[in-house]
Amino acid sequence: MAACMKRLDRAMLSIRLLRNIQLHNERSLSTSLHRLALDGEQPSKFTPPVKPVIIDKTQSVASLRKFLSPEFVPPRQRTNPAKFSMERRDMVRRRKVLHIPEFYVGSILAVTMTDPHSAGKNNRFVGICIQRGGRGLGATFVLRNIIDNQGVEICYEMYSPRVQQIEVLKLEKRLDDNLMYLRDALPEYCTVDPDMKPHPFSTTGEVPVNKIKVKMLPKPWSKRWERPKFDVKGIRFDLCLSPEQMEHAQKWAQPWLEYDMLKEYDTSKLEEDIYTEIQQEAATK
Amino acid sequence: MRLALQLLISHGRVARRMGLGPESRINILRNILTGLVRHERIETTTARADEVRFYAEKLIDYAKRGDTDEKAMKMASFWLTEKDLVPKLFKVLAPRFETQQKGYTRMVRLPARLNLDRAKMAVLEYKGNPFPHLSPIRKENELTLINQLLKAYREERSQFLAAKS
Repeated sequence: MAACMKRLDRAMLSIRLLRNIQLHNERSLSTSLHRLALDGEQPSKFTPPVKPVIIDKTQSVASLRKFLSPEFVPPRQRTNPAKFSMERRDMVRRRKVLHIPEFYVGSILAVTMTDPHSAGKNNRFVGICIQRGGRGLGATFVLRNIIDNQGVEICYEMYSPRVQQIEVLKLEKRLDDNLMYLRDALPEYCTVDPDMKPHPFSTTGEVPVNKIKVKMLPKPWSKRWERPKFDVKGIRFDLCLSPEQMEHAQKWAQPWLEYDMLKEYDTSKLEEDIYTEIQQEAATK
Repeated sequence: MRLALQLLISHGRVARRMGLGPESRINILRNILTGLVRHERIETTTARADEVRFYAEKLIDYAKRGDTDEKAMKMASFWLTEKDLVPKLFKVLAPRFETQQKGYTRMVRLPARLNLDRAKMAVLEYKGNPFPHLSPIRKENELTLINQLLKAYREERSQFLAAKS
């Protein structure tokens, strides 16, 4: 007992000595710095070291993911294609000024837009993208978030001059192209932290698909999502609907629609042409 | 305008309405298409022939993909209600139109039906069918003066070119 106490005492003493030495050194260091500074002009501000920029040269340009934004591809109609090519030129001109990143329905975005009535002249909104609509310069996307227990959806026009910055905080896809059913889902699936840090994502390879199946609030919903015309894959129907209700919903199924050749519109060749056209436009100037 | 009004006015709508509804329309067209593939020349109303024309050509495009293609087989088995016509489609009709890109069918209008409805009739056929031609072929008469002179000119020219080379 007495022996360990003695050892403890010695340890404490050595620690105290070391601490004193350290303090003494620091004091001496600080005074020396002060003297040096006094010799010269004012004390220089602390400049942190430059962060090293890592350029990944292992992956070539060819392996980058080829992405054509859906608003470039016009639907089937009788208008003159010259109108679409002129519109595409204007869209590329705007994209040279404002960087519109690649994103999908289900990704989390942060948009800063000019607002004359706010203090800092800008306002920032973070939300999950639930729908991408419109073609050409009128292309829009709807962001949804729940703020103070209130669901908020804002529809932004991508090519509006009021938009200052579009940032992708999390890039991912979902099972559906249209997530309007999140309005009738539990609020936890739409809440996004406004101060969320951007998640890093790679520019090559497949976009991660979030195969989450969402739990819904009790019926009535804004739309009857169980009907086959919406073709919703991301809802957990087994928790909210009975098998009889699911069967009843199948009465509205139109099984001949997938065999109707009139409804098919193959855009693959059109998309390739538009992609090369845009690359050429972006390269000039 | 109000959405209900939009449903009643059909300005600019190109899709035809047939039968009792969309399912009925597809069934009618399916039956006509099956008859066309079986007999290669059929007589129907003008509107139905016009609608079936599009589906007939698209079916040939699918058949050109080959019967190993899953989508092509599903389409063929859906559109042809008589299943013994599926091999005919893939083995007879698809090779016949291999060299052509489009225009596999021909539609010719007929005089109206003599029934009470006086419906406009048309004949729809796949090109290359074994029947005689629908419209008479105009044969040039070789024995007219101009044709005889042209024939002699062509012979002299070929002799001249042969002698030159």
